[in-house]
Amino acid sequence: MTTTVDPGTRLDRGRLWTRFGIVFVLAILWVVGVAFVPNFANPDNLTSILRQSSFVGISAIGMTMAIVAGLFDLSVGSTLALAAWASVLTASATGSPLAALLAAVAIGMIVGSINGFFVTVVRIPAFITTLGMLFIVAGVMLILTNGEAARYNGPEFIWWGNAAFGFVPVPFAVFIVCALVGSAVLRFTSLGRYLFAIGSNAPAAHVAGVPINTATFLVFVVVGIFVGISAMLLGSRLYSAGPGLEAGFELNVIACVVLGGTRLSGGRGTIVGTVAAAILFTTLGNLLNLLHTDPFVQRVATGLVLVTALSIEGVRQRLAERTGSE
Amino acid sequence: MTSVVDGVRRTALAVWRTYRVGLFVVAVGLVLTLLTPRFLVEGNLVNVLTNAAVVAIVGLGMTLVIASGNFDLSVGAIAAFAGAISLSVVPTLGVGPGIAAGLIAGAVVGFVNGLIVAELRVPAFIATLGTLTILRGLTLIYTGGRDIYLVGETGYKILSAGAMPVVLAVLVAAILAQVVARTRLGRHVLAVGSNQAAATRAGVRSNRILWVVFAIVGATAALTGMIISAQVLTANGRLATGLELSAIAVVVIGGTPLTGGRATMIGTLLGALLISEINNGLNLLNVPVFYQSLTTGVLLLAAVGVSTAGRQFMKRAILPLISRMSE
Repeated sequence: MTTTVDPGTRLDRGRLWTRFGIVFVLAILWVVGVAFVPNFANPDNLTSILRQSSFVGISAIGMTMAIVAGLFDLSVGSTLALAAWASVLTASATGSPLAALLAAVAIGMIVGSINGFFVTVVRIPAFITTLGMLFIVAGVMLILTNGEAARYNGPEFIWWGNAAFGFVPVPFAVFIVCALVGSAVLRFTSLGRYLFAIGSNAPAAHVAGVPINTATFLVFVVVGIFVGISAMLLGSRLYSAGPGLEAGFELNVIACVVLGGTRLSGGRGTIVGTVAAAILFTTLGNLLNLLHTDPFVQRVATGLVLVTALSIEGVRQRLAERTGSE
Repeated sequence: MTSVVDGVRRTALAVWRTYRVGLFVVAVGLVLTLLTPRFLVEGNLVNVLTNAAVVAIVGLGMTLVIASGNFDLSVGAIAAFAGAISLSVVPTLGVGPGIAAGLIAGAVVGFVNGLIVAELRVPAFIATLGTLTILRGLTLIYTGGRDIYLVGETGYKILSAGAMPVVLAVLVAAILAQVVARTRLGRHVLAVGSNQAAATRAGVRSNRILWVVFAIVGATAALTGMIISAQVLTANGRLATGLELSAIAVVVIGGTPLTGGRATMIGTLLGALLISEINNGLNLLNVPVFYQSLTTGVLLLAAVGVSTAGRQFMKRAILPLISRMSE
């Protein structure tokens, strides 16, 4: 009987690795950085890493919830740019950061609702719907802005992207609050349970009475809300926002989620992993910068990390199959 | 009797699926001809066809990947990479070897994608997202972030001159359509796309199929990249940015489902033609270029929305009618 227990514990160890491995890797990277890379441990540098990781990270929290349900949102890149633009414009008109935040979140929710409508009512797959919306929102943005960026540097507005509480940058504080909220929604609410159920097995979830359409619609709106928060902070950080802001943002966000151990086909994922992955990507770029590496090399390194990290599970599966078949 | 009815049903569905995009191409063409005298002239039509052909070539490779149940997000990066390799080989070895080098580079990189997806079991979306980043980086390192120009070598223009892109697109479509319809490789690709586990159990060497499929899409991406490079006689690390999403859009508008197991090369050609036609029309009608991104998006949603509605219409109205008539 002991032999049946053994593979069980091995499986658990594997599961533990896929869930929290990224946190260990991040910890190791920071230890190595502090020990061997000059200026890495400089408080200003650490603060800047945390700040930089927040913009992608906050959007990645919403995306984690979508991917847990086996859904996907490619439109976040265009939405981020449009929401950031709306938020800078609102700030310059009203001077109020709250109004700027509401404008950005409203844009996110509108795009999210349209995504949700097409996926749940017209029944177009999420990938295609959000790919279409990526193009549409980018087009709307160009038409509205005429290709020009909005600018505003009122002190109350730019505080949100640039200030810090001691060593903790404001965007990172917001990031952590968002992560706690996201984690609580996934773990303790019925929406969270529905998302896991849909991602694990949609037909079974349907039979079990999970309101698939409502949950799907909501998760797109939730993605929009998080993107809106990212957008406001980014607009505040840069004092400006216009077309072409953060090209390829959608893919960076998805990369964070997946590197964080969330399964692309749904049913499994953690917010902790996503947060760690967002910080990991930024840390990696920062380390290479400090080592005076060519910025082009950083891209290669980022891609290699992604492919290597995601290979580990597949390779382990194959090894397990081989030992199992013998 | 039922088998005949089934046959008619199946043919009706297949014809509708393949050629519905063609209806839109013709309809849009008619509207544009009525709206502006500048549409139906030779020079303009060559433009429309050329623009369609450039995206269509990589779209055809993408159709095969999507039919195998996968994705390739790295095609834009492969296009830039192959363009750079090709342009730097041409001055020393000549045009022919330069083009061959580009194609080989694309196929090799694609093959590596296939290895990562099949052997390391990384989901294709992530694997090719990774190689996209890596290849863009490598191309930027290779070119030093600058442009590679081809000076004094006009022979390379053969790739983009006159009707060449269109001829190449039709050729690639014809070859891949034959592969899908008539070869064992094609059947196996569709089998893997329908159900990889079942295909493997049935004796299909799924992993090898994936190596080949990704190598093919790599070669088509390289061809598109080289045509774009030939048009401007320049290559750089930012060439063909976003090509991956346009290519996927063309495939989807053409009617190949993202779920795998089915492919229509003609549909992809027509899908590329439709987007190119509409964008050209907007240009001729002096609509600001900003609207082009909007059209692609609207078209994507409309095409899939219409096809979903159309399928319902076939199922609820046309097919019962055929059944009733046969009774």
